[in-house]
Amino acid sequence: YNFTDCDFKKIKESYRNIIYQELNNYTKGTRAIDFDHFVYCEDQADCLRKIQRLTFERRPGCAAPAREAFAARTRATLAAACPGYRGAQINNTQTMKKIRKRQIKTNECLEQVTYLKELWQRLSRIS
Amino acid sequence: ASGKTKPGSASQLQVINFNFEAVQITWNTSAYAGINFTFVYKFDKKEEYRPCSSYILQHGYSAGCLLEVQRDGPLYFSIRNGTQPLLTKNLAISAYLKPRSPGDLSFQWRQEAVTVTCSNLGYNDLQYEIQHKTVFDAVWQSTEAETCNVTVDGLDPEKCYFFRARVKALEFAYGSETYPSDWSEVTHQQRGELRDSCWENSLFPKFIL
Amino acid sequence: ESGYAENGDFDDTELDDYSFSCYSQLEVDGLQHLLTCTFDDSDINSTNLELEICGALLDVYCLNFNKLQERYFLKTKKFLLIGDSKICVKLEKKNMTCRKVNIVKIVKPEAPFDVRVIYREGANDFVVTFNTSHLQKKYVKVLIHEVAYRQEKNENNWMRVNLTSTKLTLLQRKLQPNAMYEIKVRSIPYANYFEGFWSEWSPSFHFRTPETNGTELSL
Repeated sequence: YNFTDCDFKKIKESYRNIIYQELNNYTKGTRAIDFDHFVYCEDQADCLRKIQRLTFERRPGCAAPAREAFAARTRATLAAACPGYRGAQINNTQTMKKIRKRQIKTNECLEQVTYLKELWQRLSRIS
Repeated sequence: ASGKTKPGSASQLQVINFNFEAVQITWNTSAYAGINFTFVYKFDKKEEYRPCSSYILQHGYSAGCLLEVQRDGPLYFSIRNGTQPLLTKNLAISAYLKPRSPGDLSFQWRQEAVTVTCSNLGYNDLQYEIQHKTVFDAVWQSTEAETCNVTVDGLDPEKCYFFRARVKALEFAYGSETYPSDWSEVTHQQRGELRDSCWENSLFPKFIL
Repeated sequence: ESGYAENGDFDDTELDDYSFSCYSQLEVDGLQHLLTCTFDDSDINSTNLELEICGALLDVYCLNFNKLQERYFLKTKKFLLIGDSKICVKLEKKNMTCRKVNIVKIVKPEAPFDVRVIYREGANDFVVTFNTSHLQKKYVKVLIHEVAYRQEKNENNWMRVNLTSTKLTLLQRKLQPNAMYEIKVRSIPYANYFEGFWSEWSPSFHFRTPETNGTELSL
């Protein structure tokens, strides 16, 4: 999905008022400097592509935070602000049918969500 | 970045991004007495590292580097003992922003309110905080806005007020490890005019001889 | 905003007036939010009427309201707080009327409390302070507060001041000397994401002004 036509002002509003609180809650106590790497994004569309990947795709050590509250809110935000966005591999109704217990917060997930926070912060600063 | 025990770990570092103009990185040298570390850095993954051109010394040994920056972006760096890296890291300099203190405050009075303006710093998601008090107030009272155009209401034009201003980076956009700017100079205002101070005769009109 | 009929086979005139109004209170009980709805027509027979909300919910597609006398309420953490939901009035599982609602646009803050007034003789003013539970919340943190005050004998002559902080100074020279005053506060959301309605008024605070009208400052 090409994110260039999204309503970035609307996305920023949802992020700063809702999604940010969730990400902050999830990563409470961890700091960017605790991890050796960090993820950077150049422009708004680049940021959303990387945000989608880190939010909805499985990675070693972190099945996928797709079942977390911030993922559901990210999906809702992109669906509301990006014309024709159908969402990553799971869409809202499928998630409702396959409700599974929230996964344990592995260190890999903490690292992944910390990078996610940095991408959202960068997107906010350039929007 | 307060300390953990491992000397080479990131938490022994302090990073301050001065208004996206210069970044200061200092490291804790106490664990490595007598060693002169070298600092190399780059702003793009594909670039070659370049040496620090402005070291910060402590007891004659390198304890930090002050480097010029141009924009909000990534920083890749390595602290080495000779050729052996002690710590290699990359980070977003925005996470350690300390905005510049607001300058040239201007005051526009209108009955019981004043609008304080100053020049915006030119990047987003900042909070401009104006504090005011009178000699009767024990503590400052804050009014905040996301541009440097802040209206303070409920004032008594007869009284003399102290004003000061600073800028903070909003956490949702910069994270929780930034620094507020220094406070601006304190300004004194009464009946819509600048005053040198609020303590002398501005207070006791009935005792004027 | 009144409701619209879900399906077309009813003739509008035969329908009862099922229009309803709702407001939300976020983080009203820890992380739990509260959505409250009532029918606009208080004479409606609501015995078999149920309310259901669908859409913009976490992990579930719909949730049913509970009922207490004439009030329908739903306490949950499952509001997505992004995008529109649909609230339907149901009679024996059939939708009588439905309405699009956005939970973050119908927020009614909790009433302010602990209103106090302190007279400062040297400064010839009254410092009004009050508290609000919204200072500790994650979502609806930015409010406009309306302070209303009147001389008790002037029934409807309320003076009003809007502010975003929880401290206000009233000048002694602007009030009548040696008079009893009543003061109270209410709040409304003030950020472009959360919108909604005025809260209830805080309990009132009563104070008497000194005999002098306070024109000279002294430390």
